[in-house]
Amino acid sequence: MSRDDDSCSNDSCGCGNNDNTEDESFHPMGADHESEMREMLDDTEYDTDLGMDMAEDAMKLIQGEISEAEFHDKYNEAVVNEFDVDDRPTVDAFEEMKASENDDEHDGIFERLTGDEGLVEQLKNVDADTSQSRRDTMKKMGAGAAALGLGGVASAQSSGDPKDDEYGAEPVGDTSASGTQLGMVIDLNRCDGCLECVTGCIQENQTSTGANWMYVLTYEDEKSDQENFLVRPCQHCTNAPCEKVCPVRARHTRDKDGIVLTNYEICIGCRYCQVACPYGVNYFQWGEPDVPYDDLPGSENDYEELKQMPDEDRHEQLVDSNDHIHDDRGQWADMRPPQGVMGKCTYCPSRQDGHQGEEKQGTVACMEACDAAGMSAIHFGDINDPESRPRQYLKQRAEQEFERDTELDNGEQWGDTVTPWAKLSAFKLLEDLGTQPNVTYLGNEPGPEAEQIDGPVTYEQIGVEDNRKHHLDQFTFGAGDD
Amino acid sequence: MSSRTPNTDDIVRPMQSTAKWYYVVFGAASILALVWFGLWSIQLSRGLAVTNLADWGSAGGVTWGLYIGAFIWWVGIAHGGIILSAAVRLFGMKRYLPVARLAELLTIGALSMAGFYIVIHVGRPDRIVTSVVQAYPVTVHQSPLVWDVTVITMYMVMTLTYLGLTIRYDLARLRDDLPNILEPVYKVATIGYSEAEDEVIERIVWWLALGVIVMAPLLLHGGVIPWLFALLPSMPGWQGAIQGPQFLTIALTSAIAGVIILALALRRAYDWHHILTDDVIRGLTLWLGLFSLLFLWLQLQQVITGVYAAPLDQRSFAAAKVTNPYYQFAIGVVLLSLAYIFAQAVKAHLFSPMRSLAASLLVLAGTLTEKILFVFEGLEYPTFDMYYNTPGHYFPSPIEIGSLVGTIALCTLFFLVIVKVVPVIELHAIEELRGEGHSHVEGDD
Repeated sequence: MSRDDDSCSNDSCGCGNNDNTEDESFHPMGADHESEMREMLDDTEYDTDLGMDMAEDAMKLIQGEISEAEFHDKYNEAVVNEFDVDDRPTVDAFEEMKASENDDEHDGIFERLTGDEGLVEQLKNVDADTSQSRRDTMKKMGAGAAALGLGGVASAQSSGDPKDDEYGAEPVGDTSASGTQLGMVIDLNRCDGCLECVTGCIQENQTSTGANWMYVLTYEDEKSDQENFLVRPCQHCTNAPCEKVCPVRARHTRDKDGIVLTNYEICIGCRYCQVACPYGVNYFQWGEPDVPYDDLPGSENDYEELKQMPDEDRHEQLVDSNDHIHDDRGQWADMRPPQGVMGKCTYCPSRQDGHQGEEKQGTVACMEACDAAGMSAIHFGDINDPESRPRQYLKQRAEQEFERDTELDNGEQWGDTVTPWAKLSAFKLLEDLGTQPNVTYLGNEPGPEAEQIDGPVTYEQIGVEDNRKHHLDQFTFGAGDD
Repeated sequence: MSSRTPNTDDIVRPMQSTAKWYYVVFGAASILALVWFGLWSIQLSRGLAVTNLADWGSAGGVTWGLYIGAFIWWVGIAHGGIILSAAVRLFGMKRYLPVARLAELLTIGALSMAGFYIVIHVGRPDRIVTSVVQAYPVTVHQSPLVWDVTVITMYMVMTLTYLGLTIRYDLARLRDDLPNILEPVYKVATIGYSEAEDEVIERIVWWLALGVIVMAPLLLHGGVIPWLFALLPSMPGWQGAIQGPQFLTIALTSAIAGVIILALALRRAYDWHHILTDDVIRGLTLWLGLFSLLFLWLQLQQVITGVYAAPLDQRSFAAAKVTNPYYQFAIGVVLLSLAYIFAQAVKAHLFSPMRSLAASLLVLAGTLTEKILFVFEGLEYPTFDMYYNTPGHYFPSPIEIGSLVGTIALCTLFFLVIVKVVPVIELHAIEELRGEGHSHVEGDD
């Protein structure tokens, strides 16, 4: 793009915002620039008139005279005819409009979950045309600028992330991804370190002494005296290093819901998964498990027989026998592992598969314990589903934070299609290692100097061994009871 | 030293007579190996709980320890051995021809022990073959441990091919002097032999040697084995590009030390002073010095970059490493050996075979200590180090230490058996020493 230095002198942010129009052109940079654009378009193989019409309406979009969806709709057909595809930046708004035309009900889980119809309605009724916030205008400028060929403005305004609505990107989920991805949102501000989730998990999975699949670290950071908590289940990473290094494919991601499991039948116990995991969530079965195999619900079901059964029969048998150790594929991957095999937090697959009854589907033992303790810090569900408990919880928290903030703040108004994600203090653990963890935390992120301290409730108090090495030492040959 | 002329009787002597020391060493090694098998059976029945290993993280231990450290130590000796032998053939280093086969045999012995350590290390050894094989087509693309298994297998095949081909020449010519009881073995080994193949075999072996030399840094001990650790971003003591060169130099250092020890032991046992001459030992000692220097140099690089202004996780690892007395021991003994090697290089009268033997033993102790430390310190100082039980504590349990004694005993037994089966000094080496050498070793130069 050749820049007219006179018309945008001292304006470093680009030309789109310049309203010194002295001629009749729709273009903010004047008629000369408009004809220059027309010539440029003539040189291409595409329709010049369509380009110019779109550019003109894009200016209206920037001014807020038409909505993104309307803009998109108006040229959708022509663009598809010309380019075979219409993926202009306004496509999301357009699709949202289409979707809301099809579905006018507003009784989503969010309202039911929060009971806060007021806020939702209030947010929905804000008229974008009449009370446009500054940031909304900026965003539309981005979309309009893209149509105008003002690439610089567009890229300055949009991070390119389809979830990024200029108020921060939504910290979890990928609505474009097909299929379920089970994950968690853990609100560390709600955690009080009661360790109920830890005991809930141990009871559910009958893990051996010291194998604390769910673990809560109380820590202090150098820069604050505050008592912080970090609730640490397995992160069920999308790019799980443990799975990558496994030499036998025992550690794997289940296709159905994206949870990371260990096939106890083929694991050779090399412990490479434990070495590769940055979070330290793996617990090997060093010796004979505390709870014998025969005491596990479902131990009567034979692995080989289950494998041979048709899916429906297998499901029926697993449900009928309240099987707790096999998942719906007939794979032994739930509860504590056998000797010589690796174990870790599983996200309770036999619950997800309905073997514990329908009411337990979509729940995990730690969340149940946390809810029962009245804390509700753990929110488990499909993080690709905007209606799921973790996603709705995040949205609710973002909006609460926003409301709290604006009372103190500048009276900024809220748009109806966006959520103030940037108000959330959300993080994923060691995200820069590229593991793509599926647990999102709300609250303080531990810094590099963070150190674990004794919590308000100690592991000793709840009768759980914290330092498993102490327990294991008694089995060491030549140093223990031998 | 001796001015005797080497002859073929020398190299078949181990197969023709058995001295008293042989029975004593054989008996002692067998007892130690049996004790180890007894200890291992305890581990098999009670599980790895009998070791001092534990989970890292909240549980306050390390999940890999001596077993993996000893595994990479043995693999290092094995890789270094075959590299040494390949270099002798490829670069025509005739001086070292008398130890070439010893180096190859050391590779086979050490590689077997490395493979055995994988079996010892895992929680379910009964499943290794079935589980690894069924998943192999997928895991070979992604798991460094599977790359390791692949490479060890490949190296074993290459070394056995190498040995199998070169030994035909010797067996065919020495047949009459070899024990009758093993006649079927020699028949199979020399099947279809004719003198016309000698030249072809030499050429094949030359290419095999080239393959070994080229692959050593790219794939083997300079690649796949260190990648087991270097590719993991969450363990700062392991991650990084220096591990490749570091592993390769440690491998060569250990292997040369191993060959020196073997050569000195055998020349004492079979009066081979005129074959495994002081000149050969002196030369090997200098090579040991060179690789020890490289080993120390790369350690220095890691320590300096770790303690000066490294990211916090690397810094705490480096600080722990330099202050660890075992690390100081490892570096100290290699330094001491290096001091001797430099001194004897400057003042020749300081050289003695016994001092070179001591230097080699010290270097092997140093590299073994460094390997074990490398494994468990890497795990003790992870990036995610908030757990109050991390770093935990680890010292190898009696069973783990027993495995070292057991595998060294097994490797000794391997050599005691092999000297009774095949000539461990090549006939080519004798021919060279007698001045009858033809250009076999140089291949096509």
